[in-house]
Amino acid sequence: MFFRLLMESFLRQRRRKMLAGVAILLGTTAVTAMLALATTIGDRIHKELAVYGANIVVYPKADLLDVKVGGVDVKPASGGAYLEESDLEKLKGIFWANNITGVSPELRLNDQARPIDSNEASFPVSVVGMWFNHAFGSLKTGTSQLHPWWRLDGRWPLAEPDSNHWEVAVSSALAKKLNLQIGSKFLMRRLASLEGGGYTAAYVTGIVSTGDQTGMDVLVPLPVAQAIAGKENAVSRVEISARTKPEDAFARVDPDSLPPKQREIWYCRPYANSIAYQIREAIPGAQAEQVRRVEQSEGNVLSRISGLMWLISAAALLAAGFAVSAAMATAILERRGEIGLMRSLGASKGAIAFLFYTESGLLAIFAGTLGYLLGSGLAAWLGARIFAGDGGSAQAVLIPVLLPVVVALALVVAIAGSTPSIRAALRMEPSAILRADA
Amino acid sequence: MVKLSVVGMLRRSLVHRRARSFSALIAMTVSAGVATALLTLYADLDAKLHKEFRSFGANVVITAPPSSPFRPDALARVRQAAGPDALAAEFGYAVATTDTGTPVVVSGTDFAAVKLLDSWWQVDAWPDATAANGALIGQRAAQFVGNEHAVGLTYAGHSVTLQGVGRIKTGGDEDSRIYMPLAAFTSWTGVGPSVIEVQVPGGAARVEATMARLRQELPDMQVQPVRQLVEGESKIVDRTHALMYGAVLLIALTVAVSVLATLSASVLERRRDFALMKALGGSQGQLMGMFLLEALVLALAGVAAGFVVGSAAAWAISEENFHTATLPHISVLPLVFLLNVAIAAMAALLPLRVLRGLQPAALLKGE
Repeated sequence: MFFRLLMESFLRQRRRKMLAGVAILLGTTAVTAMLALATTIGDRIHKELAVYGANIVVYPKADLLDVKVGGVDVKPASGGAYLEESDLEKLKGIFWANNITGVSPELRLNDQARPIDSNEASFPVSVVGMWFNHAFGSLKTGTSQLHPWWRLDGRWPLAEPDSNHWEVAVSSALAKKLNLQIGSKFLMRRLASLEGGGYTAAYVTGIVSTGDQTGMDVLVPLPVAQAIAGKENAVSRVEISARTKPEDAFARVDPDSLPPKQREIWYCRPYANSIAYQIREAIPGAQAEQVRRVEQSEGNVLSRISGLMWLISAAALLAAGFAVSAAMATAILERRGEIGLMRSLGASKGAIAFLFYTESGLLAIFAGTLGYLLGSGLAAWLGARIFAGDGGSAQAVLIPVLLPVVVALALVVAIAGSTPSIRAALRMEPSAILRADA
Repeated sequence: MVKLSVVGMLRRSLVHRRARSFSALIAMTVSAGVATALLTLYADLDAKLHKEFRSFGANVVITAPPSSPFRPDALARVRQAAGPDALAAEFGYAVATTDTGTPVVVSGTDFAAVKLLDSWWQVDAWPDATAANGALIGQRAAQFVGNEHAVGLTYAGHSVTLQGVGRIKTGGDEDSRIYMPLAAFTSWTGVGPSVIEVQVPGGAARVEATMARLRQELPDMQVQPVRQLVEGESKIVDRTHALMYGAVLLIALTVAVSVLATLSASVLERRRDFALMKALGGSQGQLMGMFLLEALVLALAGVAAGFVVGSAAAWAISEENFHTATLPHISVLPLVFLLNVAIAAMAALLPLRVLRGLQPAALLKGE
């Protein structure tokens, strides 16, 4: 009998069920979409913030001071300390290795260059050895990933150690000074064979505009720079981009001053400081620091935007909750006549309440699940549209955890929304209801 | 017989079904409140986000070529061209030798301006504005200094002794430098400021316009944007803006449809009133006008209450998230009003299409 009542109610009163169902559907769609966007916004904005470059730098602890003024590096050529390129593999083994999204080592040398077809005097340039789209674990990383604001005309140079010329990319300032185009050549001094100061031809494959209009930079693949310097495996600085948790008071404490338990908590949180600490542990002789300009400000922006999304999600939740409960209340209120009839036919209050709650519950589960699917689709679509062109933008936003959450919320709201109306209807005398309706 | 006026009918209709009117009013208030809150936040969003981006520091760098240093009034002219809400600080650079014989970049600057501009600098103690020789020592530079409280530096044969007040830590070039007051720097080295860093608030368009003004004001100087900051900021603000826009539409739609459902159910419930009025000789137009008027009154009351509630919600969200207040925007009122009236009109008119086909007699008989 109970199931027949239930079935009939769904089959006969399609319009009324539709109204309440649509309200629940839309409410859960909005809430799912907002929550799905709010939970993924951190990663998305982090990706956007990657344009600011590395948030952690690693340099040799024993290195001399950088003496760089106006784009000219006057650091003494000798006596510098280096990191080992092969040690970078150890980054894959640190606790937060999966949070590392980009690695760009560089070896910076002071060198001399001169035009190829004249006897003009040579002038100082910086040779920078770098990775260009280097395979690092599952990442394709290097200069262009860590400096997305650089603009390259042409292509990145390839390492061809055997050929009698080097492929290089030059900064726009240098290209202007030597009047270089893609495909032209100039001469570069080879530091390793200092006898006679041998010059080697450099073939320009690309011109890089870095936004700095003064730097005389020659960008070469890392092995070429190492060959020029005669220092195999050497790296003078590594830039690392990592997904981090915005810094709070706990992040700033010195881990070595903490009791072991606290220290472990500190160590296992993806603060920039913790990741830098782990890098220092992994690479001998390395000093790792967060780049405060990037890290501090990123944390700031990130927490504001995701905070905003969460608050808006809360507002959506509130509005949807209200809308659903109002629609449920209306749906029940319309059926007072039915309640009166059932009561006059001898149904107990409990049985009627149970029937109505079951109806609301079924509706909530059904419409809630549908709304979850729709909302996930909507979030994926919105995310892909808004954050288009970031590579992984087509990622699915189907977050399974949200399904029970959203359906449970729909259930609670639907039942809470119907309760006052059911109670009011049950409290009235059946005869009064029936007469009022007649 | 008492003559029925429109106002009287309206009042009776609203008062008689008090519970029903009240729930409709609440529905309209919620829709107006949500719309007001979201639109108010939306209107302020760009300004608020741009303000957050100020923590990234300078986005325009003006460099004097070695051949022509800045004129003494350069900073004042930059400040004037960039507007009162822009921050600017000048820097002079020189390579000096420390008492341990290491070359180090020494920079002269105005600490008060830098403190505002470069909020990410981690400084344990800023030098006193009155101390002529108070210096900040980069954490790496500190390793190459004999005595931090009396730092002996030599530049072109002239030596100076600075009193290190604090250390700075940034993870950038600043770590290898020593910062000192500009006046003391210039009188020691004879080198004037060569770089002015400016932070122009606002998006790419504003930065471009300011740069054009700066170039006009200082024709010989190089005016460059810090490209990653300008581009990144615009991109992130645009995307957050779009995200917010999507959220506003989505929530507005949800609330609108739910309110529509609630209100039209309440109109449908009054089939009997409708039939009675029709039987007593009301024309289709009159009845429609009656229902519409009722819905509009409710919508109007909803807008008034919703605007207050929504503005309060926007203020609370803004205070919570951005730590600055968002004041009520009167400018969102027309849009909220339009939205609510549209919902109310639709809620009143949609069921009428169903009602029009009904015969009053059949309805009154209870069929």
